[in-house]
Amino acid sequence: MAKGGQEQKQSTSTLPAWQEQAYQQGMNMAGDVSQIGYVPYYGPEVAAFSPLQEASFANTDQMAGAFGMQGTGGQQYMPQAETFAGGVQGYSSAPTYQHAVDTLAAERPAQADYLASFGIDPVTGEVGSRTFRNQPFRLEMQPKPSSGGK
Amino acid sequence: MAGSANPAMTQAAANPYTQASQAQQAAMGRVAAGMGQTAAGGIGAYQNPYEQAVVDKTLRDVGGAAQIGLNTLGAQAQQARAFGGSRHGIAEAEALKGYQQQAMDKVGALRQQGFNTALGASQADLSRQLGAAGQLAGMGQQSFGYGQAIQNQQMQQGAMQQQMMQNLINAAKEQYQGYSGAPQQGLGTLLSSVYGVSPLQGSNQTTQFNPGLFNYMQLGASMMG
Repeated sequence: MAKGGQEQKQSTSTLPAWQEQAYQQGMNMAGDVSQIGYVPYYGPEVAAFSPLQEASFANTDQMAGAFGMQGTGGQQYMPQAETFAGGVQGYSSAPTYQHAVDTLAAERPAQADYLASFGIDPVTGEVGSRTFRNQPFRLEMQPKPSSGGK
Repeated sequence: MAGSANPAMTQAAANPYTQASQAQQAAMGRVAAGMGQTAAGGIGAYQNPYEQAVVDKTLRDVGGAAQIGLNTLGAQAQQARAFGGSRHGIAEAEALKGYQQQAMDKVGALRQQGFNTALGASQADLSRQLGAAGQLAGMGQQSFGYGQAIQNQQMQQGAMQQQMMQNLINAAKEQYQGYSGAPQQGLGTLLSSVYGVSPLQGSNQTTQFNPGLFNYMQLGASMMG
């Protein structure tokens, strides 16, 4: 150090540009993805009984009836199976799920809204108030501006 | 015998369980009825309706023979000038006694033979009916087995079809999960590649010199000198 002067050294860490860019884009993308919210499945989940199985059930009824025992009397236990695209016959949990969601919204609307605020509105696409981008932040670990002078 | 088959059973042939039930009920009914039944009760149906005629004919034959014998005895007694005497009377009584015994023996034998024949036939019929009831029960069991076998086959094949449908559903659902999870999948790929690489950190060191009064004086002296 020269006499009478003041020498100040400052170190800054650096990353390659491509890596810095990737970090930022990755975080941005993670933020977007985190806003998606739950994506329900509305398709079939459980296959319906086949006609042969139904016939077998009816035969069990007939067997019971032939020996004077009680059968179902033609009463159906399973709900009516739906026919989905491609002729798939089965059941979906979607109606039951939707009913549960609607019930929650009706019974505990604040909790339902709170849950919804973490994702986008699945109908309008409006971003929820508690999504990644709407979270408050304060930078505390950045280097302080250089203080030159005497 | 096809002619004596139960028409109701042949009509219900489409359902083996109905067959089985009817057969079992019929067999049980017959066996239950047979439990208190004796062969003697059915004898009347198997007795020879002409037995009495045969007996009558036999009695007439024996009676005819007796008459002939008495006539012969009378003729012999007349020749011996003993007709109507005590010896003749005794001889006739003995002859009649023999004929009566013969008639009773013959009739008894005929009656016994008729009874035994009818009893045998009744026993055989009872056994045949109970055997047929047992056979009917067995056939009912067989029908039940057919029904069970067919039903099991239906259930197995039906389950195979249902499983195929379920597989189709599972495949579609898996694709859907892939579709709806594509953003997360892409993000995961990105993050694993970005954060999987060690940060290529470098450092820049900058040196800043702030000159003091002595430095300015030194600078001025050097310029003057």
